[in-house]
Amino acid sequence: MPGLGKELLKREILPFFAQPVKHLLLGLGEDSCLLLEEIRLRCGQPLLLKVGDRDYTLDSRGRLSTDIFSGYVIGEEDIYRTIAAISDNSLYAFEEEIRRGFITVAGGHRVGLAGQVVLQGELVKTMKDFSSLCFRIAREVKDCALSLLPYINGGSGRTSINTLIISPPRCGKTTILRDLARLLAYGSQRFPARNVVIVDERSELAGSYRGIPQLDVGPRTDVLDACPKAQGMIMALRSLSPQVIITDEIGRQEDVTAIQECVNAGVAVISSVHASNLDELQKRPVMRELLSTQAFKLAVILSRQNGPGHIQDIVRWD
Amino acid sequence: MFFKTMGIALIIGGFGAFGLSGARRFERRVDELKNMRLALGFLEKEITCTYTPLSRALDRTAVFCEKPVSLLFQEGADLLQAGEGITAGEAWRKGLKKLARDSSLNDGDLQLLNSVAAQLGMSDAKEQKKVFNLLQEELRMQEEKARDELKSGHKLWAYGGFIMGSVVVLLLI
Repeated sequence: MPGLGKELLKREILPFFAQPVKHLLLGLGEDSCLLLEEIRLRCGQPLLLKVGDRDYTLDSRGRLSTDIFSGYVIGEEDIYRTIAAISDNSLYAFEEEIRRGFITVAGGHRVGLAGQVVLQGELVKTMKDFSSLCFRIAREVKDCALSLLPYINGGSGRTSINTLIISPPRCGKTTILRDLARLLAYGSQRFPARNVVIVDERSELAGSYRGIPQLDVGPRTDVLDACPKAQGMIMALRSLSPQVIITDEIGRQEDVTAIQECVNAGVAVISSVHASNLDELQKRPVMRELLSTQAFKLAVILSRQNGPGHIQDIVRWD
Repeated sequence: MFFKTMGIALIIGGFGAFGLSGARRFERRVDELKNMRLALGFLEKEITCTYTPLSRALDRTAVFCEKPVSLLFQEGADLLQAGEGITAGEAWRKGLKKLARDSSLNDGDLQLLNSVAAQLGMSDAKEQKKVFNLLQEELRMQEEKARDELKSGHKLWAYGGFIMGSVVVLLLI
């Protein structure tokens, strides 16, 4: 899958980093930028980059190296300056995001946070004294879900069918869901456009920043950003008259109930779930219950066999 | 005789003006401390009630208050909006330097304002409220002290200048 080029890296990612880290990252070649998936900063540990499937670091001359202990060591100052830049020096304005453990920045890139967690009763109140930051670079791969459209839109092409994308982590399920939303919302000569609602609990699908989707999710798509999946599906059903609801990583009992309600209302649900295959999925009680309701008619199984987004298998249940 | 009278008038006038300017500094410090306290109250509300990002909150506070107090907030806002990787603490300290050049605040007042630099923006709204409440309370105490100093110091400087001028004239004669 294509990724982030150097220009985009310079424009959207580097402004957030402290000067020494920014300087090192500027030395990355175009090829590495295209495959860059994560940038990790851990206090007292070497700077880590996930490029493709491998971990690299950058040495003091800015050269990529697999010997991670030869890399630039991240200091407290680097973390402090980076978190200050990410939050626009306004951590108070990101209380909810910090409670959830990540901040989405302009461009839809997600920054995971780790540090000292402050509890209020049993609930996470906030996080302070940050020790690690993980930049996950948002990827937009247009038309990567094009081959799935004939399956999802069925024979007549007038309605979409309930589809479950089954995939282990880092196999491109979020990217495929996002592209499906875009393709369905744009429509084509063969498949009429749909009203789509994305319930984006973790702000990953649409990469919303201050509520505005940063990635192309199509002209007929509404995004419920940072909204719990089950509540979002019901809200969408009542107020946004969707034809398709798209959501990521279902797995809780309330998700199953909400999906059932959507299916009963005649709205198609396209969702993803963490699993390597159908057998693994069947072992989970909640998912077993969901599958037994026959709400989903189609399963798409992804793997990394030929890189992220590889369609391993398509199973029909109708 | 004319030149002698002119010289006396100039010496007494010069010393008197210097004394009046010193006295005016006491008044200005009280005004500036009060304005600073009100401005910080405004900034606190921007942060804790409306969660306005700091650069914009500082900008709005600069519009709300008068010069020279506004210099601190405007400089801070400009530096943060420039987006050159500067932290809020650094922007605040640079703003204080600019303020110090044009204001009547003393070193104690400026040190007090400097004490919040590291905490500015870098905690949740509840913590920010505590920081600003404490600073406002400390500024209120400084303001009371400044008022006391105004009562004694104002007269001393205002009359002292003319008296000093007269003494110099007498010594010269």
